[in-house]
Amino acid sequence: MKADKDKCIACKRCFAYCPMGRIQTFHRHEKIHGRIYIEIDQDACTDCGMCLRANICPVKALYQEVEDWPREIRGILSNPLIEFKGSQVPGRGTEEMKTNDVKGSFLPGEVGVGVELGRPGIGAYFRDVEVVAMALMGADIGYQLAEENPVTHFMADKNTGKLRDDVLGEKATSAIIEGKCKLEKLPEALKALQAAAEKVDTVFTVEVITKVTPEGEVPVKQVLEELGFWYSINSKNNLGLGLPAYAFYGDKGGAS
Amino acid sequence: MTHSLHRRGDYESLKDDFVVLGCPATGVNKAGSAPKTQMFLSICYKHGPVNLGDMKTGNIYNTTMDDILASVTDGTIVQCTFDNRDKIVDLIKELKERRPGISVIISGVTDVVQQCMQEAGLGPIHSLEYSLGTWGKTERLPGYAVLKLLTMCGHAMIAADLVGKMVRDIKRGRRTIRSCVVELAQCCTCGNFNLTRGEKIFEEVLSTYMVHSLY
Repeated sequence: MKADKDKCIACKRCFAYCPMGRIQTFHRHEKIHGRIYIEIDQDACTDCGMCLRANICPVKALYQEVEDWPREIRGILSNPLIEFKGSQVPGRGTEEMKTNDVKGSFLPGEVGVGVELGRPGIGAYFRDVEVVAMALMGADIGYQLAEENPVTHFMADKNTGKLRDDVLGEKATSAIIEGKCKLEKLPEALKALQAAAEKVDTVFTVEVITKVTPEGEVPVKQVLEELGFWYSINSKNNLGLGLPAYAFYGDKGGAS
Repeated sequence: MTHSLHRRGDYESLKDDFVVLGCPATGVNKAGSAPKTQMFLSICYKHGPVNLGDMKTGNIYNTTMDDILASVTDGTIVQCTFDNRDKIVDLIKELKERRPGISVIISGVTDVVQQCMQEAGLGPIHSLEYSLGTWGKTERLPGYAVLKLLTMCGHAMIAADLVGKMVRDIKRGRRTIRSCVVELAQCCTCGNFNLTRGEKIFEEVLSTYMVHSLY
């Protein structure tokens, strides 16, 4: 996002709307006497478009250029209105958990492990995303990356989690690493993430996905409680109403 | 994956906060899903959500319900936010009966969602996603009360500075709490922002937030 210095009057109305905080600086216009304008720090800005959508600028000075690679990934991951063509889903993640009832993406004995870096209000450089991705892939737990996820597409080596060098200096409002492993490998995955948390210069949220048994047991719960990991009282719950239902337990076990 | 998952708050704050998503599945039922998604939206709308929308079109505070319905195409993911568990029970009953066919997901307090499902005649939750919290440089995060508001937008489009400005404006008598939560709902395009909960949080925040200069 940029502010047109010939239009901007430095009224500061857009400042409060920036999810990345105060990333603007004041400058004196060299040609218009007495005019002060703002410049948006292009390194800190994630091109999320929030200030523009807020429609707060009284002189319409804000504008978003069409960005080339690699900067274009900022908008792809940060602006919720832009759809990532790889996943065909607007936003930063995939639909896999939401549609587990019909796709069977997370089978009994498997656990989805997702990490979202940068949210809320801090943002994440891809060099930090790489640290976490390489920690998961390097833990030797058979972590399978979600193919349709944007971050997976930006990887130079999907076996190690190494990202392309040209994206490492880019920043997004948030970026998600998605994948799954066997339930018995969850402790090692979480241990790897604990180590990665010490190395990154941002925050990340951690989430785990599991198929609930027909008896209502949540397989990951015992693992988390034994290891002493906090988990939230609120969760995202698939009701199992999608059609056609995926047969998780074969013909005999039904589709629940 | 995480859109409505990481809402922060205690049980009291979250027990009447539900985000209901309707999601077609690529490669399974996405083709031809538009009428199913429209049906899902119409059912949700009938049960009185506080917010409703889809990511690309916006929510009912940015545009109209007619526009949201008309903009649904195959693959559109829609969200409806509710502030009352009884409405959720009635909604699940109708969704179970009419079964639009797309996947239905409810983000909320796990035990409450499970109770609602049972009261509506559904069995256990099918699949579940837990948040294990925020790790890393958590000292860079804003205060907890502000976080409760910020995390209601899964795409992190609500700025901490905007909440601070709104608190100052409310304290100075320039704005009402209602006008502030409506604007926050407009920032959160998808329709995940719970305005009822937002108003309660603002009321809590106001008494603790210091305004250095009122004028």
